[in-house]
Amino acid sequence: MSDAARYSAPRPWSALILRVLLWFVLIVFAIWFLLPAYVVVGTSLKDLDEIRGGSLLALPHELNFSAWRHAWSEACIGVECTGLKPYFWNSVSMALPGVVVSTLLGALTGYALTKWKFKGANLVFALILFGCFVPFQVVILPMAQTLGKIGITNTVYGLILVHSVYGLAFTTLFFRNYYVTIPDELVRAATIDGAGFFTIFHRIILPLSPPIIVVSVIWQFTQIWNDFLFGASFTTGGAQPITVAMNNLVNTTTGVKQYNVDMAAALITAAPTLLVYIFAGRYFVRGLTAGSVKG
Amino acid sequence: MASLTIKNAVKRYGNVEVLKGVSIDLRDGEFLVLLGASGCGKSTLLNMIAGLEDLTEGEIMIGDRVVNDVHPKDRDIAMVFQSYALYPTMTVGQNIAFGLEMRGVPKAERALRVEQVAKTLRMDHLLDRKPAQLSGGQRQRVAMGRALVRDPEVFLFDEPLSNLDAKLRLEMRTEIKRLHKRLNATMVYVTHDQIEALTLADRIAILKDGEVQQLASPAEIYEHPANMFVAGLVGSPPMNFLDITVEAGEAGPAAWVTLRADGADKPVLLDLSAHTARLDGYVGRKVVMGLRPEMISQGTTDAGQCVQCEIDVTEATGADTLCVLNWNNQEVLARGTSGYTKILEGTMDFTIETERACLFDPESGLRLD
Ligand SMILES: Nc1ncnc2c1ncn2[C@@H]1O[C@H](COP(=O)(O)OP(=O)(O)OP(=O)(O)O)[C@@H](O)[C@H]1O
Ligand SMILES: [Mg+2]
Repeated sequence: MSDAARYSAPRPWSALILRVLLWFVLIVFAIWFLLPAYVVVGTSLKDLDEIRGGSLLALPHELNFSAWRHAWSEACIGVECTGLKPYFWNSVSMALPGVVVSTLLGALTGYALTKWKFKGANLVFALILFGCFVPFQVVILPMAQTLGKIGITNTVYGLILVHSVYGLAFTTLFFRNYYVTIPDELVRAATIDGAGFFTIFHRIILPLSPPIIVVSVIWQFTQIWNDFLFGASFTTGGAQPITVAMNNLVNTTTGVKQYNVDMAAALITAAPTLLVYIFAGRYFVRGLTAGSVKG
Repeated sequence: MASLTIKNAVKRYGNVEVLKGVSIDLRDGEFLVLLGASGCGKSTLLNMIAGLEDLTEGEIMIGDRVVNDVHPKDRDIAMVFQSYALYPTMTVGQNIAFGLEMRGVPKAERALRVEQVAKTLRMDHLLDRKPAQLSGGQRQRVAMGRALVRDPEVFLFDEPLSNLDAKLRLEMRTEIKRLHKRLNATMVYVTHDQIEALTLADRIAILKDGEVQQLASPAEIYEHPANMFVAGLVGSPPMNFLDITVEAGEAGPAAWVTLRADGADKPVLLDLSAHTARLDGYVGRKVVMGLRPEMISQGTTDAGQCVQCEIDVTEATGADTLCVLNWNNQEVLARGTSGYTKILEGTMDFTIETERACLFDPESGLRLD
């Protein structure tokens, strides 16, 4: 029997009931997950009176962005009342170089580990892989000392270094696993053609890498942008990333708790990673499952 | 163009000895085929010539230059890989030009040479395509083009036709042959297809477990295989091996062979007097006799000894009909008359050309000389 015939055959009642039940469960779970998001967005668009007066679930009366404006450029974080703006740019100037450096180094390491196998390459890879399982907390103390020695404590550069080093384990894993699927004969052919290590990398291997570069970029961007612990440990005051600043913003409210500003701050903080997922999410999945390139 | 000399090449991976002292000497412009079963070290040897693998021991010379420590790009070789190894993100034109570009050939000259090569290989209309948009045969051509454009001293081929279907393989085989004739370049060609080896080679080196079994012209290998391994590997359908005991006949050595005729076993004394010198000292001892199917042909001629045997089954292949005979419970392949013109069945006459038979020592497997 063909598939079409099987699926278009009249369904018995039991199947219909099961289907309804399935939809019901799915919808309940969808609401379960969407409700908090709705509350956050909704509250950020209300003013304080409306929050106090109305129900948590009520729709805002009007689209009022004053809380967003306040969180972005006026809210007090500690003693500085600058809003999240400078910290947002801190995060950008930490995340972009961090992503680029860790992705490039990961690609290079993965390439060397798969296409220029040296004695002990597998051991080196196993050790690097081990880095994926080292919790953040373990590296804080030695890292703090290192940053102190180099003299870049409490700077964005320090955070860039920390994230590049810590992310290397993951990016290497991504690229290595992708590059093992590229036939070695390509590298051999290019070697005979007269290309060296870096020429082969940038003329032949990198052009084949976009799917896995997307994966690495999304992963690293999310990790670095969302990081709180390193930011809180290695920076204070003006050099802090947005995640730490947002936490301080919520904690430094004096007098009335401004829920709308807190919610807006949370959304501003989360926006970049959300956008990355919305626009590049499908490439992420595609890249993770991408296989070898048949010549 | 250059000669190629391999002196006592040894390759070890840890304790495993993959090549056990291979020595091969190639004339300028010679076509050598490395033939052997999977895993015998053909690719390893080729990669060592290319410089992609180091030698554990031994020496490789191209022309009169020892190249052991010369980088692959400076050895003046070009290689065609089994998987073609085309650069997937480059167009055909860029693929062919890459080697020239790496050598700093100016752009205008590059374009000119790519165009020439593309014309030779009849693929000038494909230059702007990516490898993924080509058929298997076209990819194969591009891989050849990439080697040709560099005009190297030595061409290396690692099973370049094994990914093609039968018809295309035949076409490309002829094309390679033509190419060799035109360029007159030194070529080393790896294959495990004996037909390719026989048709292409000036000389064939037969490898087994990292050792050269025989290095000789196709005719020599076919007519005078050095040992039973070579005899069994080359030739299709394969050679028949019969265990015989040498007796002293009236005219010289002879051997009793049991054939089957009319449903009953029938011993026949085969005359081996043509091999008198060879069998000197073997009288009363066991020997293996190798008979190629075409040495047992249907019908009576005066080329050999005529016997009667029963045909078990026949296999018609169009040009030839193969007869499977039953000799003392052993299957023996014989050549029937060509084509479908004659029905072959029952007990018929066959002529055995004992003169051309190969005789081997059963212990060492070596051919008696
Ligand atoms: N890096 C390596 N480490 C250990 N053994 C190896 C290595 N490379 C090849 N070998 C072994 O060397 C032997 C010869 O390999 P090679 O690739 O030369 O065979 P081949 O004759 O080309 O076979 P095929 O016809 O299948 O291509 C094989 O037994 C293989 O297992
Ligand atoms: Mg091989």
